[in-house]
Amino acid sequence: MKTFTQVYASLRRRSRGQYALLGGCSFFSVLLITAYACMMRSPTILTVLPEGGDSRKQIMMIFVLAVIGCAVFTTYAAGLFFRQKSRETGIFLALGASRKQIQSELFREMGLLSVGTCAAGAVLGMPLAWVIWQCFRMSVVNTREMRLTFDPQAYLLTLLFSVFVILMIFVLGWRSIRRTNIIDVVQESHKSEPIKAVPRWYGGLGIVLTAAGLFTGYMSSTVFIQVLHWYPPEGLTGIFYIPALVGLYMLLLHTVVNGWGGKRRQYKDLISTSMMKFQGRQTVRNLLVMTLLIVAAYFGSFYSPMMGAGAMVGYDARPVDYVYHFRADQDIPQGEEVEQLAAQYDVEITRYAQAPLLRLGIDGYDAIETETALGVKVREEYLELKNSELFLSAGDYSRLTGESLTLQPGQVVCIIDPINGTGGRMDPYPHIITNALTGARLSVEPLEPIAYQSLFGYYVMNDQDLAALSEGLPPEWREEVVLFDVAGCESSYPFAKALFNEIVDRSGPEVAIVDSWDPIVRERDIAETGSYFADPETLLELNGITIDYNQREGSTFTIYWKYMPQFRVMDKADFLFSMAVFIMVFVFVAIVCFAAVFIIAYTRSMTIALTNRQVYDDLRHLGAPNAYLYRSARGQVKRVFFTPALIGTLLILAFYLLILLFNGETVAITVTEAAGLFASFGIIAGVSALLYGVYRLSLKKVCRVLGIRQGRKAS
Amino acid sequence: MLHVENLHKSYQVGKTTYEVLKGVSLEVAEGEFVAVMGPSGSGKTTLLNCISCYIPTDSGSIRLGKLDLARLDEDALAKVRNQKLGFVFQDFLLLDGLTVRQNILLPAIISGSVSQQAETRADQLCEAFGISGIREKYPAEISGGEKQRTAVARALINHPLLILADEPTGNLDSKSTRAVIASFEQAKSALGATIFMVTHDSFAASFCDRVVILRDGVVWRVLAREGFAREDFQDQLLDAIREMGKE
Repeated sequence: MKTFTQVYASLRRRSRGQYALLGGCSFFSVLLITAYACMMRSPTILTVLPEGGDSRKQIMMIFVLAVIGCAVFTTYAAGLFFRQKSRETGIFLALGASRKQIQSELFREMGLLSVGTCAAGAVLGMPLAWVIWQCFRMSVVNTREMRLTFDPQAYLLTLLFSVFVILMIFVLGWRSIRRTNIIDVVQESHKSEPIKAVPRWYGGLGIVLTAAGLFTGYMSSTVFIQVLHWYPPEGLTGIFYIPALVGLYMLLLHTVVNGWGGKRRQYKDLISTSMMKFQGRQTVRNLLVMTLLIVAAYFGSFYSPMMGAGAMVGYDARPVDYVYHFRADQDIPQGEEVEQLAAQYDVEITRYAQAPLLRLGIDGYDAIETETALGVKVREEYLELKNSELFLSAGDYSRLTGESLTLQPGQVVCIIDPINGTGGRMDPYPHIITNALTGARLSVEPLEPIAYQSLFGYYVMNDQDLAALSEGLPPEWREEVVLFDVAGCESSYPFAKALFNEIVDRSGPEVAIVDSWDPIVRERDIAETGSYFADPETLLELNGITIDYNQREGSTFTIYWKYMPQFRVMDKADFLFSMAVFIMVFVFVAIVCFAAVFIIAYTRSMTIALTNRQVYDDLRHLGAPNAYLYRSARGQVKRVFFTPALIGTLLILAFYLLILLFNGETVAITVTEAAGLFASFGIIAGVSALLYGVYRLSLKKVCRVLGIRQGRKAS
Repeated sequence: MLHVENLHKSYQVGKTTYEVLKGVSLEVAEGEFVAVMGPSGSGKTTLLNCISCYIPTDSGSIRLGKLDLARLDEDALAKVRNQKLGFVFQDFLLLDGLTVRQNILLPAIISGSVSQQAETRADQLCEAFGISGIREKYPAEISGGEKQRTAVARALINHPLLILADEPTGNLDSKSTRAVIASFEQAKSALGATIFMVTHDSFAASFCDRVVILRDGVVWRVLAREGFAREDFQDQLLDAIREMGKE
């Protein structure tokens, strides 16, 4: 060995683990970002996520979160790497190497490592996305639409992230060489933070503030809208979460500096607590980042089971296999034609029913929004003709459902969803029903709603009342609803698809409208403002949403089309397809966030070991037995891993419970929500097991660095 | 060889300034083995760090041969540390990833490339300090005394003008202490090395030609061995320390 480069090579060989950790993190982060970007930009996925829709925004937000998570753990790994390197750098400087000399060697090494690992991650990212997708196809749903295609533009995002990783490693390396102080290395001295006493009441107050912040943050928007009738500017409600953040910091500070043992454990935990105290600020900052990442990761992980479990329970709870409705002026298959199509696909229709629907106006309170400098103010105004709804007669209702319903003249009843009630979509208690074209009106007495999932959203009236109001209504204000069951519904997908295509193909351009399109609201809006938001051209301009019969497989169409049929077998398969997309992206973000948590926890544990090596030697010289040293090291590593895990898990559970309790019309958890919650507990168990594995590995490494025997050998 | 004149150094901690060196002056001649002793806080380590160019001084001068160390820029200081000075530290500061022989050659490697001469010198130093048998071992595989002898050999590899040793026996048992002191004596007698050592240990200091005793940042007394037996010189040192304690 004759040159400085060879010295570096030799040192590199002897500390492969450090290089592997940094290289591994850099590779892993670019791999995940590439795979995610490929997935996110894939045309296959983009058809599922409507342009300008909430889900696409969510995916983008999650991508940002994933980037932050990857950036955080890569930066932490680089920080640990250079901290470990600083001793070498200090020795070189003490022996007369110049900073430039060290820098050129380090930069050569870092250049190879960062560019090599980023390139490997970028190359393997796309195959990884493809492999994971194929696994989903094989195990969840495998349809023609599920074939994954890629957009090369995704690599722009990879390139940007790789540039960040490479620059970050170089900047940290440069800073490490500039900052390495020979004296610190020569004297093996430690920089400690000045300790400020943390009162013990910080713990209790931290818990109260965290709980209060979560509650006020979540409830603030409800209070603003429902009590103050005001949509505040975006971000204002976020202020109400601040107490939660302050509380979380206090809680972690108390945990790190004082511990929760009370006076009884004061001496037992003296060493481990006091060691952590000296790096209190850094440790608390690390734990705070980890807690927030755990919350974000769980939030992402729970989304799919919550949605998935709920929706699947909902599909199974439908009383009818096939339901669709269409405007009376449209030539849509019905009756015999449906039976013939079913026969072509060897599907046997076991029950068929069809009934007319009338589009009539109802009264109610309209929310009038006024733009102000402080956000949107909302006031309610009673209108005798507020919007239109679809009505059917009590006789038809009984015939369609097989459930007897008798209504007296002047009575009206609304049909709600057995699980979600009105879902916030309708006013169940109208008092005036109007024929919007003739002006004929009828005062009615609304009864308590009845539940029937397949006719959800319709109103039922006395047969004679309905017949009287129907006079003079043209076909475009009349509809037909068709309900039928088939034998072996699960295997009738081809028939369902064929019927769906037939319905779409035969629908005219006049019914290519979104679900919220309402002729009464349209007339009023055009009279008042000159335009109507749900008209196709306005909607395209405002939100980029359009109902295009050629895009019938896309989620924009299936979510927004006013006449979208409800075919159980097709809805289930399509839902699995869109769920697969959601699961994919959320699984990705969960992996990224949890990887960041694991790496931060591991690096913090290793930092504790490296910083306190001298203290453990001193303790050994003072006669501390191995078992005592093991307990002390374990106490610190445990706190690093389990404090954020426990607090993060409790926080997300509390937050989800808040959402589940207050998102419906009553403060209660529904069966579907309970199913989702149960699935989420499974995820918590899996992640906790993984976290425990990383904890054991970190403890083993820490003990090795500190020269402590583990397990049974410890005593 | 080494001229330190009216050296001042203070530290700022918060709003308080601590003056650690209050005008230290001393000289070390070529081939001399000099120790600096003194109670904790007397400024001996700060003095050594100033001479090593690890920390800047407030005022005064440090001259090594004809070089005024205070006037050198960072690159020139690095060159001085590499070629004019040799270092022995209390914690050895060997690189765990290099063998004993590679550690010894490190200052030569840093200075550019290793000549055949340097390799031969490394082997000779191993021979001289009794570490030939472990030269292919890594630091983790050898004892504290062997590590410190490796560090002494490393300090000598570039033919420095001066060896600076900071508590070189501080982490060693008595047997290893004797071996390390013996290696210093050998460096002095066989290689003509000049050694400047900071120590708490009167036993180690008793092998030196002269001992400078610091107290409260100034030179309190200088004791020269001048032909006394080592044991007698150690007694003189202990008496001086006792006397300092009484004042």
